[in-house]
Amino acid sequence: MIDPPTESTETEPGEIGLVQWKDFTWEHPFLFESGDSIPGLTLRYETYGRLNEARDNALLICHALSGDHHCAGIHSLSDRKAGWWNNIIGPGKPFDTNRYFVVCSNCLGGCQGSSGPKSLNPETGKPYNLDFPLVSIRDMVRAQHLLLTEGLGIRSLAAAIGGSMGGMQVLQWGIEFPEFVRKLIPMATTARQNAQAIAFNEVGRLAIMQDPEWSEGAYEVGRGPDVGLAVARMMAHITYLSDAGLEEKFGRDKVRRTHARSQFDAEFQVESYLRYQGQSFISRFDANSYLYLTKALDRFDLFGESGRLEDQLQRIEARSLVIAFKSDWLFPPAQNRTIVHALLRCGRHASFAELDTALGHDSFLVHAPELYRLVSCFLEA
Amino acid sequence: MRRHLIKRETDLQIISEWIENGDSVLDIGCGRGILLEHLIRTRAVRALGVDTDLSKVGSCLKRSVPVYHGDAEALLREFPDQSFDWVVLSRTIQELRNPGSLISQAIRVAENVAVGFVNQGFWLNRWSTLLTGSRPTNDVFPLTWDEGHPYNPVTISGFEAFARRKEIHLANAVFLKGDWQTRTSRMPNLRAGYALYHIRQES
Repeated sequence: MIDPPTESTETEPGEIGLVQWKDFTWEHPFLFESGDSIPGLTLRYETYGRLNEARDNALLICHALSGDHHCAGIHSLSDRKAGWWNNIIGPGKPFDTNRYFVVCSNCLGGCQGSSGPKSLNPETGKPYNLDFPLVSIRDMVRAQHLLLTEGLGIRSLAAAIGGSMGGMQVLQWGIEFPEFVRKLIPMATTARQNAQAIAFNEVGRLAIMQDPEWSEGAYEVGRGPDVGLAVARMMAHITYLSDAGLEEKFGRDKVRRTHARSQFDAEFQVESYLRYQGQSFISRFDANSYLYLTKALDRFDLFGESGRLEDQLQRIEARSLVIAFKSDWLFPPAQNRTIVHALLRCGRHASFAELDTALGHDSFLVHAPELYRLVSCFLEA
Repeated sequence: MRRHLIKRETDLQIISEWIENGDSVLDIGCGRGILLEHLIRTRAVRALGVDTDLSKVGSCLKRSVPVYHGDAEALLREFPDQSFDWVVLSRTIQELRNPGSLISQAIRVAENVAVGFVNQGFWLNRWSTLLTGSRPTNDVFPLTWDEGHPYNPVTISGFEAFARRKEIHLANAVFLKGDWQTRTSRMPNLRAGYALYHIRQES
């Protein structure tokens, strides 16, 4: 006789399921670091899990350049893809929505519903375009702080977490609001971009600005410098991957040539993949936002005028865990280590881990059990 | 209690006696952070561990022990002189590629350095090598040559010769017999299974 089936006691981490975004509006002037201001702002955001009674179990997720507020769950049952960090956020997952109240907002200057260059200027009734003030990483953080405190009534953050541009915001959170945030997890990030990263951003910006459709940023919604934006995205996307990662995924595989109209149509799979990345990006991203956000990245510099990283980082009171990825050549491990070295020289409670993943800068987004364990251990302790 | 647990305790107790309340302590080769967790709890130290093994880094994080994943010598070069009260090298130096250079860095960045190692000059270890011709295997170093970490056979006399040559001050030394519990001071290079030194820069 066959043994009766035994019930497994292991539970699979669950899914968040259907989620909805909300808008936070602040109807007072917001002053940017540049000195310019706008009369009010909107941040689009999502939350998962429940805020506890003490209002202190919130995790803030900060997204990267091309990310948005939709980091977990699905908006409708027909969605083919869940939010961009769905693998790590959910009940029983490392960012456990049974324990934490997870918040993610589209950054200031973005184009997924938060105030940015394509928002309407109430004074003119037209989009700001290039009249939108220059945005800094610090401006993004200060806007998020308004959302958390004024919008959601959060008293303190259990942690701020993010990769790449999100990692910069995480560091800025620790500096700007040291008593508000208890733990920081910056990943695949840098305290300031090196010339190489600025150079890539500049090529992307020029591709957009030299597209005749850009029209000094005054293009109409629905039109715009699609060619330039797609090329910018294609090139940037390469910097998020790695030689080994691309080789493993595509190698020299070819596409079927039956529909090729010219000898310069996509021949290799990797070409076709990048063209797809470029095309899908123009349907969801605004070219002016791309210009503003890449400038925010380029100008971010925690070394400041003194050239001493410690001058800024010594304001951090939170415990930090900095995570780098070996194959990341955009913000390589050494740049992440630099942050930890400075924190440690300031006598701060800081940890560092380097993960040996092959997928380059975007490694923080993929399924990585080692990453899950590190962040779980750090959050639980 | 298993024998290797007793051994871990021994090291931990002596080092704890040396370290004062509120000291800053850098533990190189910190493993799962047991010593530092103990020092944080009993001495309220400002702790930092270093290890190259990612799974051990996770265990440190779980214990709330700050930990740096990477090369210790490269990390030490990032600190100005006398940044820590203590650097601890507990059963670490035998596995280093260039232990002398790491010890020099350690006494630069810390006022005090604790170095603990298994004495390969201990008669039983010599006997084992005499019999088998290969390095001793026991419950501290259970793995044979084909599986284990490479290690340098450190001896008490070898370590003291190194200290003289480099003009390193031996502030204190504790020698333990083969049981790693009973202290001994006579002919330690032959009679001690474990040595723990407190060293400093010659002032």
